Amino acid sequence: MGNEAEKPNIITTSLDFLVNWGRTNSLWPFPYGTACCAIEFMSTEVGRYDLSRIGSEYVRFTPRQSDVLLVAGTITYKQAPILKRIYEQMAEPRWVIAMGACACSGGFYDCYCTVPGIDHIIPVDVYIGGCPSRPEAFFDAMFDLQKKIKDESFMKQRAEQVKDQLEMIKAKTAEAKAQAQEFAHEKVAELKDFVVEKEQNLVKKAQFWKE
Amino acid sequence: MTAEEIFACLEEKFGAKRETLDKWGVTAVVSAAYLHNAVEFLKDGADAKFDMLVDIAGIDYLTYPNHEGPRFAVSYSFKTVAAPCVRVRLKVLVGEDSLKVPTISDLYANANWYEREVYDQFGIVFEGHPDLRRLLNHVEFVGHPLRKDYPAQKRQWLSTNDYLLPTLEKRLEELGYRVLQRSKEVEPNDNEFLEGSVKA
Amino acid sequence: MIVLDKNGEKLNLMPLNVGPSHPATHGCLRFMAAMDGETIVASVEEIGYLHRGFEKMVERGTWQQVVPYTDRLNYCSAIMNNIAYCRAVENMFGVELPERTKVLRVIVNELSRINDHFVCVAAAFQDLGGTTPFMYAFNPREEIMCIWEKLTGARLTNSFARIGGLYRDSYEGFEQDVLAALDSTEKALKDLHACLDRNRIFLDRTVGIGKISAERAISYGWTGPCLRASGVASDLRKDEPYYDYETYDWEVVVGTQGDCNDRLQVRLAEIEESVKIVRQALKRLTPGPVDIVDPRIRVPAHKLAYQDMEGLIGRFKSVYEGIRVPEGEYYCGSECANGELGFTIVSDGSGHPYRIKVRPPCLTQFAAFHELVEGGQLADSMAVLSGLNIIAGELDR
Repeated sequence: MGNEAEKPNIITTSLDFLVNWGRTNSLWPFPYGTACCAIEFMSTEVGRYDLSRIGSEYVRFTPRQSDVLLVAGTITYKQAPILKRIYEQMAEPRWVIAMGACACSGGFYDCYCTVPGIDHIIPVDVYIGGCPSRPEAFFDAMFDLQKKIKDESFMKQRAEQVKDQLEMIKAKTAEAKAQAQEFAHEKVAELKDFVVEKEQNLVKKAQFWKE
Repeated sequence: MTAEEIFACLEEKFGAKRETLDKWGVTAVVSAAYLHNAVEFLKDGADAKFDMLVDIAGIDYLTYPNHEGPRFAVSYSFKTVAAPCVRVRLKVLVGEDSLKVPTISDLYANANWYEREVYDQFGIVFEGHPDLRRLLNHVEFVGHPLRKDYPAQKRQWLSTNDYLLPTLEKRLEELGYRVLQRSKEVEPNDNEFLEGSVKA
Repeated sequence: MIVLDKNGEKLNLMPLNVGPSHPATHGCLRFMAAMDGETIVASVEEIGYLHRGFEKMVERGTWQQVVPYTDRLNYCSAIMNNIAYCRAVENMFGVELPERTKVLRVIVNELSRINDHFVCVAAAFQDLGGTTPFMYAFNPREEIMCIWEKLTGARLTNSFARIGGLYRDSYEGFEQDVLAALDSTEKALKDLHACLDRNRIFLDRTVGIGKISAERAISYGWTGPCLRASGVASDLRKDEPYYDYETYDWEVVVGTQGDCNDRLQVRLAEIEESVKIVRQALKRLTPGPVDIVDPRIRVPAHKLAYQDMEGLIGRFKSVYEGIRVPEGEYYCGSECANGELGFTIVSDGSGHPYRIKVRPPCLTQFAAFHELVEGGQLADSMAVLSGLNIIAGELDR
């Protein structure tokens, strides 16, 4: 079964296409905006740049309903545990964009209180440079992310999950079998001893009666 | 009333000395013992009412060239809100051995946070302050970052988020409530600690 | 938590944490409230979530290298912070700026103020659930951003001012661009007033909410539009005039009630005053140099570095060693969009700042937050917070 799931076929690729189409065109961002980049994100949302052109106008402020965590701004050590918790609260599939120099590397705040890049805390899919990033750069990052999502295979991910589970099941079965065999061997040996003993007893008894 | 006249009053009443470093305005150096009285005088006693505390700044003179005397200083800026804006600054020198200054948070409401900030950044203790905690740095921070001997890149991870409930209880008691039973807030979970932090 | 109130009655309060990751707290503010149903009984604030070590970082560079850091204090009006810092250092030198620089600084100052107030009003509407005014307010803002782009090369963090001058002179067609931006500002103001003035929902949510008396506001050290909303006509542009602000024809806008609605209305009225100032300043704009001629303060023009020895040495020393600010301690405050932005500067006479302490206007306003929201509804706290216009960059530095 594992091999079959790995191979792409007409059903799985079509399903992949459908799922990825849906995912790419309605990326709901969670703007984790802390500093200057958040103001540029506000500019991205309004009329001139218009984020809704790529289906992302529905900005969600709850991690449970969003797909993209957009970290816009400096993350300090005081903020770091909160960012990590927000990331953990997001449901799969989830992606992370690090917007601006501060989120990518700490920017020019090489200091006692700033985290040198959010990738010390959470995994990042797309990095955007700039201090702050221009709205155009933000769009570019969204397109990059869309490309990345289009390359992903939903069925493959499922297959990998299933494969992991299958391997786990196989390993467990093998272990159980080995255990069972060992146990059986022990039992057989015990039985053998018992039979041998009984036979000897019988032989002894027979000898006794003969005598 | 001009700043010069105010300084003359301060000199007469509290033995204030003129800070020679301030060549552009009026800075009076007072001893910590007279600080509270001097501020009270500025706020209510003087003809010009210095009704706004503009800023409190801590200064560390550790690497200042040719500096003699105590290592730290706390500098207070006051101004009058009424039209001819008069500014005056008070300065208190604080030795490394004592590190104590009386609080003025009973006179000005915003002194509370300013003093917390100076305590956070320099470790200067304000005696009589109602709630002297760190303001900008996190609770697990060790040391005082704006001192000249604190390396700028010495990073300190925070393991988990701050716990504001005791502060809230304190505020409730200030307002005249009595807390009978503490709320069962979820205690920080050991699995949530960030890698690299003290507790992890 | 179970508490006894003053009359000895038992109350069951719920502690509720708001922020720092909350749409209305702008990412960096946090408060915890003890709730009795929907009413806030007590509230405490916590800040420091965007503490980026401004004061430690500036001690490592030269005096000119502080300018980009000041951009990121109040990032809604970055140029204003540049000018406030440069003005403080120039006052220490005791130099007089050329006429054109002063007028240009007034123009960019007031345009930044317009920008900042628009963001505040737009965010306030957004937090109260109105999306349309948000779009209205951002249209002129984008036009001003385009001017910034042409003028300075950056949209938001401009670093336009320099100690002893400006990064460069204005470009050709600057006046026309500014006039066009002012026109669309006035149009947006008309639209915003149409949305705001007789909007029953908006008035119900802001009038009488988050009131503070003038005495209490002064005791908290409030400055700027928030203090003026409480009825105190205090504006450093009038009280301690600089850049000839006193010679322009404009009024200090004062509120009456000191509530949330007043704070937003004062901001909108200040935009009108700023438009007036910019229109007058444009008429005063005469050709001339924008930098002072003193290689010890302002780096000589690039052209000179190739032509004469003095220029080359001046440029080299200014970049390599930095300028040497006279030894001493000085406090200088300027009227920025949120209030008095002050710099306490300690110089030891070397090429590096010894200590620069920022006096952020937001800190004092947020320190009073619990007094504004206690006794009110939870939903009102959001209206109060957005009316105060807390910018975390300068709150935490």
